[in-house]
Amino acid sequence: MALHVEPDLDGAGPPPAIRAHGLVKSFGTLRAVDDVTFDLAPGRIYGLLGPNGSGKTTLIRLLTGLTVPTAGWAEVLGTRMPSRPNLGRIGYMTQTDGVYTALTVSENLHFFGAVYGVDGGEPVEHALGIVDLAGRRSSIVGTLSGGQRRRLSLACALIHRPPVLFLDEPTVGVDPLLRVQFWAHFRALTDAGTTIVVSSHVMDEADRCDELLFVRSGTIIARGTGQEIRVQAGTADLEQAFLRLGGNVEVTR
Amino acid sequence: MSRRRIVALFRRVVSEIRRDRPSLALLFIAPIVITGLVTFILRESQAPQVTAVVVNLAGPRGLAVGNALEAALRTDGATVSDVADEAAARAAIADKAASVGIVLRPGAASGGSLDVTVITNGLDPSGDVAQVSAIQRSVLAAATAATGTAIPAVNHATVYGTPTDDPVTTFAPAIVAFFAYFFVYILTGVSFLRERTGGTLERLMATPVTRGEVVLGYTLGFGLFATIQVAVLLLWALGSLHVGALGPLPAFSIGLGISASGSPILAFLVVVLLAVGAVSLGIFLSTFARTELQIIQFIPIVLAPQFLLSGVLFPVSSLPSILQPLVAIMPLNYAVDGLRQVFIRGADLGVPALQLDLAVLGIVAAFFATIAALTIRRDVV
Ligand SMILES: Nc1ncnc2c1ncn2[C@@H]1O[C@H](COP(=O)(O)OP(=O)(O)O)[C@@H](O)[C@H]1O
Ligand SMILES: [Mg+2]
Repeated sequence: MALHVEPDLDGAGPPPAIRAHGLVKSFGTLRAVDDVTFDLAPGRIYGLLGPNGSGKTTLIRLLTGLTVPTAGWAEVLGTRMPSRPNLGRIGYMTQTDGVYTALTVSENLHFFGAVYGVDGGEPVEHALGIVDLAGRRSSIVGTLSGGQRRRLSLACALIHRPPVLFLDEPTVGVDPLLRVQFWAHFRALTDAGTTIVVSSHVMDEADRCDELLFVRSGTIIARGTGQEIRVQAGTADLEQAFLRLGGNVEVTR
Repeated sequence: MSRRRIVALFRRVVSEIRRDRPSLALLFIAPIVITGLVTFILRESQAPQVTAVVVNLAGPRGLAVGNALEAALRTDGATVSDVADEAAARAAIADKAASVGIVLRPGAASGGSLDVTVITNGLDPSGDVAQVSAIQRSVLAAATAATGTAIPAVNHATVYGTPTDDPVTTFAPAIVAFFAYFFVYILTGVSFLRERTGGTLERLMATPVTRGEVVLGYTLGFGLFATIQVAVLLLWALGSLHVGALGPLPAFSIGLGISASGSPILAFLVVVLLAVGAVSLGIFLSTFARTELQIIQFIPIVLAPQFLLSGVLFPVSSLPSILQPLVAIMPLNYAVDGLRQVFIRGADLGVPALQLDLAVLGIVAAFFATIAALTIRRDVV
């Protein structure tokens, strides 16, 4: 399972896990994603940070092939999206929970497990353990709290142990203690080679990411580690950095 | 197509409905209650109670006929009394003291003919018709008695089945088909709408599941419940389980006891094909709905025409010719006809009319399954 990536001798590094090239998505006159190009290396956590409506969800939907780009292309693990077989190697935790509220916790996990082709109890138990829901396995999802549903939603995205994970605002409504556990688990996954893209509209978890991509009006206005961005913007505060690097356009408009 | 994924989808749909008590009640109890009620109404409708007031304005000749008519009416169980004039008769009807007035006048033709005018209340046309036809029967009986000439009897035979005065025999196939269609459509439509609005379809589209697998999984899941529903309804419609008197309880029978000549398996096949089409229709129409209420709002557009144009209420042959092309494209029409072919005619698979019904239902189901799959697009979730 563990995939230790050694830098190539010629310094080229491993092939990117996720690539976007000139991605554009227009809704009428609105360009929700506006010419996004990047390569994301495997085994790292990328933070997609930007205010509500900046285009994070649309960008993730383009990368997973859930929506057709107006222009440009996306590639995951070397395969052009959309690709249905490739979806078996991707986990996607949607911004809305996207779990069946009339079913129990374990029925949801068994269902998504079967859909991804991982059978039976072991993957379900493993996923339940990660999100600490083993005690609620027989509860109907409709009776769970918002945070518990969020955890189930994450478990459903992890059940098939995909090498690429897209998490759209995963920690909303999750209590601080469990957040710490989540991030510890994300780190364990990337140590084993998984590539994770996490979106958030708050900055307080930014420093847990290996690299940040600031999104504003559908474009990437800055990219780098938290430290690099602080230096570039000349401020120790990432909120301030976001505004100084061009994020203020929305505020002043 | 992956069998494992289809089975997973099927099991998911089944677990969802299994826990949904109101939906189960809608599927199984509602049709039984409604068909039972309709059958009871159709079979046990009471003969109209006739309370007649007679006005004789035709002298002694009118008196003789009037007496014969009154005697015939009394024989049929009516209450009869005489009043002086038409105004008194109208007042009695207005006061609800009488249900009908009979006015005897000298006829326009010569030779001592008589005119009989029947006056009714006028607020309840179908009740009025029942009153008038009761009077007509008595007039006929009175005329027969007065002239001493017997009126020829009219007998009735049929090519298929036996003549029956049980209206439920033709009504039951229609109602079984309609309920299967109606409930399967509503349950699938609402369920799939939840899938679209609840974010689970978005998530499903991010897995290796194909839209064909989704349609098939749904069809199997809802098809299972439609199958059980149809089996229960057919048992109910055809069955007649006699339960003997027990202590203070009188004897009664369970089931509508409709006499059917064909194979219940064929009847079953007809309704299941119809229900499969209804699953896809529900998936397809859920694309155009934003709320569960809107699924219900499609009923007047999609289901009401089928109800009116498929022989459920009005015989197809009596519909205006301008509507006949519409009749020809109503899926429900073929199911109702197919069921009648099986129930009344006792048709088997060799009968061309039944073959046509099954073929059309199969094509409709395949057509709607295809367009349903086309609406499950990534961008449309
Ligand atoms: N299906 C759609 N149709 C029209 N506009 C959309 C659609 N999806 C997203 N948008 C618009 O695109 C912009 C970006 O949305 P989104 O990607 O959800 O932002 P974020 O996830 O960063 O909050 C918003 O202005 C939103 O209203
Ligand atoms: Mg979003």
